[in-house]
Amino acid sequence: MKRQNVRTLALIICTFIYLLVGAAVFDALESKKETTQKKKVYDRKQELRNKYNLTKLNFDELEEVVLQLKPHKAGLQWKFAGSFYFAITVITTIGYGHAAPSTDGGKVFCMLYALLGIPLTLVMFQSLGERINTLVRYLLHRLKNCLGMRRTEVSMVNMVAIGFISCMSTLCVGALSFSHFEGWSFFHAYYYCFITLTTIGFGDYVALQKDQALQTNPKYVAFCFMYILTGLTVIGAFLNLVVLRFMTMNAEDEKRDAEQRALLSQNGQAGGHNHPGCAPDPPSSSSAASGCSGGAGGTGGPGGGGNSGVGGAGRGLRNVYAEVLHFQSMCSCLWYKSREKLQYSIPMIIPRDLSTSDTYMEQGEAFSSDALHPLHSNGCVYSMHHPHSAISSVSTGLHSLTPYRLGHSKRRSSI
Amino acid sequence: MKKQNVRTLSLILCMFSYLLVGAAVFDALESETESSRRRILELKRTEMKKKYRFSEDDYREIERVMLQADPHRAGRQWKFAGSFYFAITVITTIGYGHAAPGTDSGKVFCMFYAVLGIPLTLVMFQSLGERMNTFVCYLLRRVKQCLGLRRTEVSMENMVLVGFLSCIGTLCVGAAAFSHYEAWTFFHAYYYCFITLTTIGFGDFVALQKKEDLQEKTPYVAFSFMYILVGLTVIGAFLNLVVLRFLTMNTEDEKRDIFGYYDCFLSTHTHTHTHTHTHTHTHTRVKQVLSVMAAADSVESTSYCMPLMEFCFNEEINR
Repeated sequence: MKRQNVRTLALIICTFIYLLVGAAVFDALESKKETTQKKKVYDRKQELRNKYNLTKLNFDELEEVVLQLKPHKAGLQWKFAGSFYFAITVITTIGYGHAAPSTDGGKVFCMLYALLGIPLTLVMFQSLGERINTLVRYLLHRLKNCLGMRRTEVSMVNMVAIGFISCMSTLCVGALSFSHFEGWSFFHAYYYCFITLTTIGFGDYVALQKDQALQTNPKYVAFCFMYILTGLTVIGAFLNLVVLRFMTMNAEDEKRDAEQRALLSQNGQAGGHNHPGCAPDPPSSSSAASGCSGGAGGTGGPGGGGNSGVGGAGRGLRNVYAEVLHFQSMCSCLWYKSREKLQYSIPMIIPRDLSTSDTYMEQGEAFSSDALHPLHSNGCVYSMHHPHSAISSVSTGLHSLTPYRLGHSKRRSSI
Repeated sequence: MKKQNVRTLSLILCMFSYLLVGAAVFDALESETESSRRRILELKRTEMKKKYRFSEDDYREIERVMLQADPHRAGRQWKFAGSFYFAITVITTIGYGHAAPGTDSGKVFCMFYAVLGIPLTLVMFQSLGERMNTFVCYLLRRVKQCLGLRRTEVSMENMVLVGFLSCIGTLCVGAAAFSHYEAWTFFHAYYYCFITLTTIGFGDFVALQKKEDLQEKTPYVAFSFMYILVGLTVIGAFLNLVVLRFLTMNTEDEKRDIFGYYDCFLSTHTHTHTHTHTHTHTHTRVKQVLSVMAAADSVESTSYCMPLMEFCFNEEINR
C-alpha cells in the first residue's frame, strides 16, 4: 500500500490506542476521589437543607441562583479588559469558559470572530516562531564562533534543546508569577500555565478572577495578556521547529510521487509528448489518455535544449543542491541520514563520463524550464505548494538524472 | 527589510488590532446584559437570604457546598466513558473543563498525556485530512469526467468550495443531532458544534452531561465521540488545504534566499570553467557540493547561508 496511506492508518490506530490508555489511567486516578467527594458533598447539601428546613423546590431555586451568580463572583467580565481577555481566549482557542457570550448576538459574533481570528493567529504564531528560531540559530552560530569551536554549525539537536529549555523556563516563570499573584501553589500555577499554553484551557484555574483584578489591577492584567501571548509564541516556535514538518509529510510524498510518475513517463517517451498517469492513487497507464489534460513539460524540449553547456552545468549543480534541500527539508527523519546517503550517491549523480551528465542536465533543464509543475499531470492543480517556488521548479532536474536511485534510497530510510 | 520580517511584523500588528476590535465589540454586545443580569441575581439573592434568614456565614457555606456539588450534577465523570471523553478533550485541546483532574497525580498525568498526545493528534488529523483531500480531488475529477466536462482538472477553488461545504454540512449535522438529544435549540447546538470543532471548547455547552448519559446511553456516547473526531478531521482537512501553506511561508522564503546566495556563488564560478570536461572539473564540483552540504548540517537556512557566504567570499578573494 502507498506510504501515505500506511502512515495515516498507523497514526489513526496510534491515536485510538492512546485515547484508550489515557481513559483507563484517568479512570484509575480520579474515579475513587470523585465517588467519595460526591457522596460527601451530597450529604452536606442534605444536611444544610434540613438545617434551614427548605423544601426541595426552594432549595433547587436557591441552588440555581447560586450557580448562576458564579461567573459574576469574579467581577465584571465584559468590560473592555474582560472582553480583551475573552477575545484572546477565542482566537488562541484556549477557551477557558470563565466567561462565555450569553446573548445570541454575542454567540454569533463569537463564531464569526473565531472563523477569521483562529487562522490569523495560527499563521502569526508560526511566522513569529520561525523568526525566533532563525534568530536563535544565528546567535548560537555566533556564540560557537566566539567560543572558537571547531564546528560552528548549529545542529537540530542544539535547536531542540534550546527550544525545550525555553518552554520549560516560560512555564516556570509563569508558575512563579501566578502562584504569587493568585495565591495558588507553585504546582497548581504550573499546571495552569501548562493548560493555558497548550491551549487546552479547562477553566478550572483562570487568572484575573480574584479581587476584581480585571478592573483594579491594570499592570497585572497587562502582564497576564503579554504572558499568554509570549508563552504561546515560545511554544509555537518549538512546534514550528519540531512538529510542523510532520504535518506536511503526506503532501510532500504526494508531490514526490507525482513528480516521479511524470518523470518516468517523460523519460519513457524520449522527450516527446508525454502521457502522464492521471490518478493520485496507483496510476494505470491505460487511464492516461482518459480526458486528462496535464501536458506538463512534454513540449518544452526545444526551448530548454538550447541552453549552453555552461548554464546547463551550473544550473545542473544548482539542481543537485536544490534537490538536496528539497528532500532534506521535507522529511525530517531522513535529515540526519541524508548527508551520508547523498555523499555516496553524489558520485553516482555526477557520473564519471561528464558528457552524459551534461546531456542529462540539459534535459533536466528542459523540463524544469517549463513553467508547468509535474503535478499538473494529476489533474490536481490545487496541491501545488508554491507555483513559482524556486525549489519545486528546479527539483525536476535531479529526477531526470537518477529517477530511481535517490528516490529509492530516500524511501528505504523514511518513516 | 527582509520579506519574512515585514510579513511577521504585519501579522503581529494585524493580530493586535483584531484583538482590540474584538474586545470593543464583545464589550458592546455583552456588557449591558451582564450588568443587568447580575443586578437581578443579586437582588434575588438578597431576597432569599432575608426570606430564609441566612447569616453571611451561612450563605457562604451554602454557596461553597453548592459550587462544589455542581460538577457532580452531570453524573459520574471519571468512569471509563467519562475518562475517554476527558482524554479526547485533552489531546484535541478542546478542554471543556466540565471535568478537570481533581487529584494532583491526575494533574501530573494530564500534563504528560498532553505533551505526547497533542502533537500526535495534530499530525494525525493533518495526515488524514490530506488523504481525504486527495481522495475528494480524485472523486471530483472522476465526476467531472463522467459529466463530460471539457476541463477535468480540479482547481483550488473547487477544492475550497467542497471543503467549505463539508464543514458547514458537518456543523449542521451535529447541530441537528445535539439539539435533538440534548434538548438545545438548533442555534445553541450549532454554536456548541462550532466551539467544539474549532477546539475552543468554552464548556458553557457540553454534550453527554444530562443525568447519567455517559453511563447509560452508550450508542449516543459513541456517536458523540465519533462526531467530535470526524468533525475535527473535516476541519483539519480544510485547514490542511487552505491554511497549512501559510504556516510554512517564512521557512520557504528563507530557503529561497539561500538560492540567491547560491546563485551568486555559482555566477562567480561558472564563467571560469566554460568548456573543460575534465575530471578535475568533476572533482571540483563534487567537492563544492560536498563542502556546501557539510556546511548545511542542520535543517534551516542560516547555517547554510553563513558558511555558503563565507565560501563565496573566500573564493572571490582567492581568485
